[in-house]
Amino acid sequence: MPTLTYLQAISSALRDELRADDRVLLMGEDIGVFGGAFKVTDGFVDEFGTDRVMDTPLAESGIIGTAIGAAVVGMRPVCEMQFSDFISCGFDQLVNVAGKMHYRQGLAVPITVRLPSGGGFSGGPFHSQNPEAWFMHSPGIKVVAPSTAEDAKGLLHAAIHDPNPVCYMEHKHLYRRVKGEVPSGVFETPFKARVAQPGSDLVVIAYGAMVPVALEAVSDGLDGASVEVLDLRSLVPLDEEAILDSVERCSKVVIVDEANATCAAGAQVAALIAEKGFESLDGPVVRVATPDVPIPFSPPLEAAVLPGVDRVREACRELLAY
Amino acid sequence: MATDMAQVADGGADAAVEHLTVEDRIWLLRAMLLMRGLEERAMSLYRQGRVPGSFYDGYGQEAVSAGAAFAMGPMDRLCILHRDLAAHLIRGVTPARILSQYMGRAAGITQGRDGNVHFGDRKLGCVGMVSMLPDMMLVATGMAMAFKLRGEQRCAMTWFGDGSTSRGDFHEAMNWAGVQKLPVIFVLENNQYAYSTPVDKQYAVDPVERAAAYGFVGVTVDGNDAEAMFEAARAARERALAGEGPTLIEAVTMRMHGHAAHDDMKYVPKEQVEEWRKRDPIERQEKRLRELGVATDELRASVKAEIDAAAEEALAGPMPDPATAVDGVFCVGEAEPLGDGQAPWSGFH
Amino acid sequence: MSSSPTDVLVDVTMPQMGVSVAEGTVVGWRVEPGDRIEAEATICEISTDKIDTEVPSPASGVVTEILVPVGDTVEVGTVMARIAVSGNGVAPATSAAQPPQPLDGGTAGAPTTETKSSSSAPAGNGHRRYSPVVQRIAAEHGIDLSQVPGTGRGGRVRKQDVLAFVETEEPPLHIESPYRPEPVAPAPAPVVDGGGLSRMRRQIGEHMKRSLDTAATCTTWIEVDMSRVEAARKRLGVTALAFVARASIDAIREHPALNAWLEGDRYTRHTDVNLGIAVSLGDDGLIVPVIPRAHELSVEGLAARVKEIARRARGRELTPDDVQGGTFTITNPGQYGSIMATPIINQPQVAILDFEAVIKRPVVVSDADGNDSIAIRPMTILGLSWDHRALDGALSAQFLATIKRNLENVS
Repeated sequence: MPTLTYLQAISSALRDELRADDRVLLMGEDIGVFGGAFKVTDGFVDEFGTDRVMDTPLAESGIIGTAIGAAVVGMRPVCEMQFSDFISCGFDQLVNVAGKMHYRQGLAVPITVRLPSGGGFSGGPFHSQNPEAWFMHSPGIKVVAPSTAEDAKGLLHAAIHDPNPVCYMEHKHLYRRVKGEVPSGVFETPFKARVAQPGSDLVVIAYGAMVPVALEAVSDGLDGASVEVLDLRSLVPLDEEAILDSVERCSKVVIVDEANATCAAGAQVAALIAEKGFESLDGPVVRVATPDVPIPFSPPLEAAVLPGVDRVREACRELLAY
Repeated sequence: MATDMAQVADGGADAAVEHLTVEDRIWLLRAMLLMRGLEERAMSLYRQGRVPGSFYDGYGQEAVSAGAAFAMGPMDRLCILHRDLAAHLIRGVTPARILSQYMGRAAGITQGRDGNVHFGDRKLGCVGMVSMLPDMMLVATGMAMAFKLRGEQRCAMTWFGDGSTSRGDFHEAMNWAGVQKLPVIFVLENNQYAYSTPVDKQYAVDPVERAAAYGFVGVTVDGNDAEAMFEAARAARERALAGEGPTLIEAVTMRMHGHAAHDDMKYVPKEQVEEWRKRDPIERQEKRLRELGVATDELRASVKAEIDAAAEEALAGPMPDPATAVDGVFCVGEAEPLGDGQAPWSGFH
Repeated sequence: MSSSPTDVLVDVTMPQMGVSVAEGTVVGWRVEPGDRIEAEATICEISTDKIDTEVPSPASGVVTEILVPVGDTVEVGTVMARIAVSGNGVAPATSAAQPPQPLDGGTAGAPTTETKSSSSAPAGNGHRRYSPVVQRIAAEHGIDLSQVPGTGRGGRVRKQDVLAFVETEEPPLHIESPYRPEPVAPAPAPVVDGGGLSRMRRQIGEHMKRSLDTAATCTTWIEVDMSRVEAARKRLGVTALAFVARASIDAIREHPALNAWLEGDRYTRHTDVNLGIAVSLGDDGLIVPVIPRAHELSVEGLAARVKEIARRARGRELTPDDVQGGTFTITNPGQYGSIMATPIINQPQVAILDFEAVIKRPVVVSDADGNDSIAIRPMTILGLSWDHRALDGALSAQFLATIKRNLENVS
């Protein structure tokens, strides 16, 4: 089984989909001739041509809107927002046209929107956002967020096969830093959570780039406590069963969000636990999240706001002692 | 600045006669009569409290949708707007389902999930509108994009109003369609008002001129002449299928009722309304057909009977089951693309 | 009376001993102004309509003033005394409303002159809170959380602590019984004065002696085949006691004379069955909380209520209202393996049912043709102590026979 980086795994999924299914069409700014801002589609036009790896005008609403049109006449468009931050320019089409179409008209909109997200490299306020909560909150849109190379490929295949609009949150920080064994060919990862590391004294719930942060935070310095790490992988649908199972066994929970704290995915997880996992709790549900600030540019400022290994470890330590 | 009627392209109706049989022309009148009759009946039901929410109609604009939709083939795809009921009728949506839809009943096209004209029968190739306008211009552009990529001989049509041309999606769609030379027909219904905003507060140039700015053809048509509308749409479709790209059709017409049933349109000068009443599209088509010896009174009677039967059927239908309110947010299983619609024009048979 | 400027003054207020009680009388002070007193130690004795009781001090400190002299009757909530707690000392427990004190002994509403013990909260300040999972585990295992040492922040009982406690406990012999063996950790020291018996033991003893002196106590026994009960209780996940309770209530319907009070000459039969269940509190003795209107509960309902009152009894959370109004009592001390007993009737009731261990025995069974063979059946002996002033041997035997029939026909 080959070892690929997270980014290579994404490329591999796109390539395999283009080969296997004529209906698949990639659309985005600078993805064709240039090979994409992050080189995800490097070399693709040579194999698939400029029609299927389309360099679009600079028009996010246009990209999402035309993708919807193509999807309802039988294509499988995979749109790229160059940075997830720019999805706000296409918000209306995604939330009001794509998200609500099946409920109102019984008409499925099988589009995938790739959203390179997250900070940690001085991208500043407009190149570092994690906007998934906006779309968790909009009915009719699924949201997934891989943290490993294997899941990056499997979840993207599953997203493209899904007949619904899917936001695929690919984390830029993980592109080249995460490597792993990735099966070849087309395979699907289910939209469910994954126990990244089993434990019994406390569970850290995280997704995306916060999963490696959590794993490192609990790897030592907690006096031998047995800490579980649950990788959500899918935000809509949220894997209630897995979350409540971890809570029942571990009774103490730390939830980590790289997104801004208020109404982030972790807030929904916390509400779920408070309502349905109350009797299993041996302590308050603790959240570690980026405060409600635009992500700053200068490195010490950015490091101060994004949840790092130390903050997560400290939260675990305190809760274990409670 | 209201479009001067003198500037409207002349000869449109004469060119149409070449492509329309008498049956076709009767079809056009029938579609308009059905649209107006249904909307009047629905308005009456609205005033009886049986139509929840708001009610919109296209009174006086029937030719814009009837004429343009009539030129669309079964495999073409439509994004229909709220004053274009005739387009739905031409594609094959039945009057009973439309009245059920207005009344929020289970038999409505959206089964109560969306209201009034926010519907589109996917099995007949129609995409239902959203309220954010002109979002559907991009969807139509996308459909046309797929047709071109796959080398198919079909096109997409979308309607939108004068007001919506001020929003970004108008620009993004026009630009995208122009730069990719897509087989899409943009029907701009210039009915002089966007709610209470007259066109001279909406734009500084006549929007038909904008087509040239995006690299394609723009034509102004008498929106109250069903046959002229048909001819403009037919020519645009020919252009699209020949690979010559999009067309912007500016249909000049007048919104004869308020923005919605709750609007008394006091802001519209009475003289303007009176001027346009003389150009009623149904009266004009009827006159043409009477000159050809067609018994239009019988046609009217048959339309009325159809509407009465539809109302009876719709009123007898149940409201949707509240237990189903949270169903169907996601598609489970295979995504079905849009289906083909009716295409009654003789040119397709 | 001196107190430093940094001292906090804590009020000692007249407690509410029961829902309907509005006032109380001070019958004795244990301290004088200037005396030092520790939190939880008795500061005075009071008398109310319902009960005489000792009042524990809400804080550790020095008594600054006594405001209500002996013999005075004041409203609930009235400040009776004040204690100065030193400024750098431990924060006082809330003193605004004393938590109601639980009762010992079996008195069911009859006024007595006995005073009752006061220990309710575990040693230390304030009121211990237990997290949802800790409470759940404790309830499932019938654990008295006040016995569990906590290693969490501030001495908090963590899930690991209660799980560890479960593991060190001896498994009981008859696991359906609400009783548990004496806890391993020493019980909080009750107040002891003079002799070797605790105050509570003496109080219980006095009640028991009085019962024997008053009633003409006799005991009758019957054997019961519990096979169907064992099968049914496993299916429902409840204790055998719940079935015995329900069977007894049903039997009372046929023999209402067993559900009565005899107070001197006054004899009252009750239609409601307020069922007392005896609960052991280890060194603190015995207490009989009452399930009111138990006849309205199903087997599952009774099982749930028994569990709940046992938990509250061990958590010292019972109120005076909880131990009043009983019309019939069941005692179930079966987990040590004893098979019979001669229980003492809980005054002013006329009978008490004793349910001991369920033990597998070889028994003779007859088939439909009258052929006898030996079978192994879970058997128990139910004992009924009854008052010969209100009942007789035949009535009591019939009552037991009805219970036996009910139990042996459980579906």
